[in-house]
Amino acid sequence: MIKILFLSENINLIDKYKKIFTKNLYNYNAISDWKLAIDSIIADNPDIIFLDADNENIKDLNKKIKQVCENAIIIFVVNSKIDKELLKYANAFVTLDMSEDLITSTVNVNLRMKNALEMLSSSNKDLADSLYRLNALYSTSSQFAGTLDKDKLIKYMIEGIDKALSFSLTCTLSLCNEEPVLIINSLYDLSDELISAIKMRTILNFNSVFDGENAPFDIDNLKIIKYIKYPASRFTFTLFQYDNMLAKISLGDTNFGFIEIFKENPFTPEDATCFQTIAQQVALPLKSATLYQELIETNAKLEKLERLKSEFISIVSHELRTPLTSIKNSLDILGSGRCGEVTQSAEKFLSMAMRNVQRLSGIINDLLDLSKIEAGKMDFNFAAANINTVIGYVKSALSEVAKSKGINLITKEAPDMPETKFDAQRLEQVLTNLVSNAIKFTAENKTITISSKLVNASEIKINDIFQPEIKNLNGDYIQVCVEDEGIGIEEKDLLRAFDKFAQIENSLSRKAGGTGLGLPIAKQLLDAHKGAIWCDSELNKGSKFYFIIPLV
Amino acid sequence: MKKILIVDDEQDIVESLKFVLETADFACYCAYNGEDGLRLAKEIVPDLIILDVMMPKINGYKISRLLKYDAKYKNIPILMVTARSQDEDKLIGEETGADEYITKPFELDEVVKIVEKYLK
Repeated sequence: MIKILFLSENINLIDKYKKIFTKNLYNYNAISDWKLAIDSIIADNPDIIFLDADNENIKDLNKKIKQVCENAIIIFVVNSKIDKELLKYANAFVTLDMSEDLITSTVNVNLRMKNALEMLSSSNKDLADSLYRLNALYSTSSQFAGTLDKDKLIKYMIEGIDKALSFSLTCTLSLCNEEPVLIINSLYDLSDELISAIKMRTILNFNSVFDGENAPFDIDNLKIIKYIKYPASRFTFTLFQYDNMLAKISLGDTNFGFIEIFKENPFTPEDATCFQTIAQQVALPLKSATLYQELIETNAKLEKLERLKSEFISIVSHELRTPLTSIKNSLDILGSGRCGEVTQSAEKFLSMAMRNVQRLSGIINDLLDLSKIEAGKMDFNFAAANINTVIGYVKSALSEVAKSKGINLITKEAPDMPETKFDAQRLEQVLTNLVSNAIKFTAENKTITISSKLVNASEIKINDIFQPEIKNLNGDYIQVCVEDEGIGIEEKDLLRAFDKFAQIENSLSRKAGGTGLGLPIAKQLLDAHKGAIWCDSELNKGSKFYFIIPLV
Repeated sequence: MKKILIVDDEQDIVESLKFVLETADFACYCAYNGEDGLRLAKEIVPDLIILDVMMPKINGYKISRLLKYDAKYKNIPILMVTARSQDEDKLIGEETGADEYITKPFELDEVVKIVEKYLK
């Protein structure tokens, strides 16, 4: 019901208006003593106040009324002529001679205006609230995007929710790290009993949020981190009567925890949407942060492994070489006859021991080479040279060995071979390995041929299984081929020949006294030259090993 | 008789080097760690030093540097023995002043040849 207060010392006037407004079902109240006016207004909070303008203190009174009741409509009752000075003080004016209808319609118009204004102000407030929340959401999202630190993400989420909803208390269970943590952000301090109750509540919440799953912690071992805004005051158990909301923080199968929020005033549906949005938004960056952390941990593990590998190689090269040197030296001294005459059978066993020392030393060198190349620590010395020179060196170095086995070692170098850039020492190592292998697997009276020629990548004919080795190559290359008439290699073993792990198990290479690492090393060395190595073989007929290096 | 100082923490290696060098008519002095090696080098002022790289207390590189920067000893040829370990590889680029390098395992006859090259 509309409350009307009529202020006048004029009893007749009071009565006249009383008749108008009681008839129209208004709550009409009149005061003739000005001194009581303010107290009455404070107590009643009327919608419309009529002021009899026939009072010399009307301006003062009007000011006081505005102070205690700013929303009331103030209507001055004046003589037919309005004092211009009064115009700015009132919402409306009625004159003494106005008809009853005119007075009621003036009141109604002003009431409608008042309602409209109130509605406008309220929607303005809603709009401002939404804008503020949107702002909080936006700035929180920006913060989420700026970090991969899980604890910081949780902190930003709580701050964002506080900014948007201004809570009394939030309890955030974070499962982001190995140990579950309950983060309590509270306006006021909490007693130990209240904390215990909150912990208990967290366990119950865990059950409901994660579908009956048991909490991976209990009241006694749940770690608490407390942030209290005003530590001088304390919450009581009435806290649990506050309005509250709960949101799960998870993405797919990954659960990061949940957040419960308490507020003295009830939450609106918009608050709930905002709260859930922020809790959902933090899950994705938390997932990224988790993956990032795993990546860092894996990297650290890999680095450690790499370090262990280097240390191992260091041990292999140093700790094995030193005792090997002592063995070799002793054998040398014994074999030289400096310690007395060496019998024929003693010499047989001495040379057996020597051979195996050489072999062991070769294995250590190969291992060291391979790991150096793999670690990218092998130094190459690329210089312009002619590959035929390398072929010449290898032939002169190995022709004695070949001859002693009754093998014919010949070379067919392409004439006018152009120079190109390569590491001569390394390619000599490759070619020596290929020819030594050929000698090992070739019988008496057979021939081994080393040849060189210029080829274009497009015209290289190659066994299908090695096709991937050359598929990215183009342009001109220098090709070297070592052809033997030995025992050959089965097709299924061809690819394995260049695989260090497979070859190390190969009994054939063991029987022939090799380390088995020669070909894998050759492959790595040619990779470093941006070249390729492959082979072609027929069982019991012979093998052809090819390598190419680019012509630059 | 020319004096040769052999410094290596591996006694067996020292033993075999001593044997072949004495057979080749050199007087051998031995030390089994860097500290003793450096002290002995200054005491006896040998005609040549065979020096292992990896040794406890003072490594071969350090000894070589200390001797080569001292006018009194800088003319003594130093034959450095390395096992090509990674730690040594890192040091190889550094200036040590050694005159020759040999890698373990080495040929005893080769060592004798090198020694003779410097002393005869």
